[in-house]
Amino acid sequence: MASDRAKRRAWTLGVSATLAATLLYLTVGVESGLRSAINLVVSPFSWTVSEIARPVGHLFAGAINYSDVVAQNQRLRYELGKAQTALNQTWAMQRQLQQLTTQLHVPFVGSLPVVAAQVTTLAPTSFAATVDISVGRDNGVLAGMPVVANGGLVGTVISTTPHGSTVRLITDANSAIGVTYKNSSTSIVVSGHGLNNAMGASAVSLTSSIRPGTVLFTDGLSGGLYPLGLPVARVTNVNLTPGATTYDVGVTPTADLTNLFYVDVVLWEPST
Amino acid sequence: MSRALVPAVVVTLFIVGVQLVVLTNLRVAGVVVMAVWLWPLAVGLSGSTALGVVVAGVGGLCVDAHAITPFGLTAVVGGLVAWAAARLGREGVGDLESAAWWVTPILGGIVGLLAPALYVVLGAVVLNFSLWRGSVLDAMWVNAIAFAVFARPFARLGRAVTRLAPAMRR
Repeated sequence: MASDRAKRRAWTLGVSATLAATLLYLTVGVESGLRSAINLVVSPFSWTVSEIARPVGHLFAGAINYSDVVAQNQRLRYELGKAQTALNQTWAMQRQLQQLTTQLHVPFVGSLPVVAAQVTTLAPTSFAATVDISVGRDNGVLAGMPVVANGGLVGTVISTTPHGSTVRLITDANSAIGVTYKNSSTSIVVSGHGLNNAMGASAVSLTSSIRPGTVLFTDGLSGGLYPLGLPVARVTNVNLTPGATTYDVGVTPTADLTNLFYVDVVLWEPST
Repeated sequence: MSRALVPAVVVTLFIVGVQLVVLTNLRVAGVVVMAVWLWPLAVGLSGSTALGVVVAGVGGLCVDAHAITPFGLTAVVGGLVAWAAARLGREGVGDLESAAWWVTPILGGIVGLLAPALYVVLGAVVLNFSLWRGSVLDAMWVNAIAFAVFARPFARLGRAVTRLAPAMRR
């Protein structure tokens, strides 16, 4: 009797696991709608918790007018980030001028419109580096558009809803960006290694002039995922393993990804 | 189950809210503590397999709706946690009154340690091989400690909810 029950349990578990695995595949097509529906159900609870948690957090912080100070600080960081981005793009503008004269017609981000957005949610798990932002399709935001803030490239829009978008950060394990640097004619690929880990680039030629402190910019190659000249990362170390024929390069994002409150979505599509 | 289902789902949705609003911002060593896995453990330890799987499914899917990782994976891991915990719960292991006080925290610690690893392994099963490149080890030890600390309070909450469905424990 007991073994019959155990068998039935095992069968139930097996069938459930198979159904769940099948669903994981089948729901890919309807995933977006399902996510929207679930978000609709969860949002009142998130709002309630947020309304309870926020004052408690402020109480612990123990400062009068703490909210105003935080909001002001966020705005200042945003402004500072924009200024840093503009500063970092100066060399790219010069390069763009050269390229225009040779009639390459490569689009430059400085001339492209942007949409400001507020970061609404961080990734709810430790297994993906993403943020949700407050602008979506209704604001002209589409999947594939680059997102900048705090002094450089932050990530790429990977999905949108009418009023929100999800951005994959450049530190995500699935992120890979073609970059170049000043006085370089070649491109290298910088990859993310997860939210808490440093980014890196491998297979960098021994003849390259890359050094610690070198700032890496998107290469804007034709058909690439990013426009030319977005600051991406700064080189922190250049390693040569004995016997290796290329450098391994460690880099850190130029944008401060730990303090993301406001971002700009660059209205630029990869196909353009 | 019908009596316990509604309060269990409501509590689950509040835990999802805490997960999304508080825990995602309150990272320890950059890691998010997965309360949506601790809650099915707590419900499971009370002996309610079906209710544990339901709260795991609801909580997991709600979190997965906000993540770019494979949809449903968090729910599957939670469901397995609930199922395993329910088997132990039926044997009286982890019972807050009859078992030693340290049993529930130890179970919580073990589940906190194993659940992130299980998540990565199941991610590979659905052909997502990038999950291991994150901070799996950090996620394991942080969740192990957090689960050990909060296992008893959650178990009390779980017991309170499942007491509404006495027939289900059989």
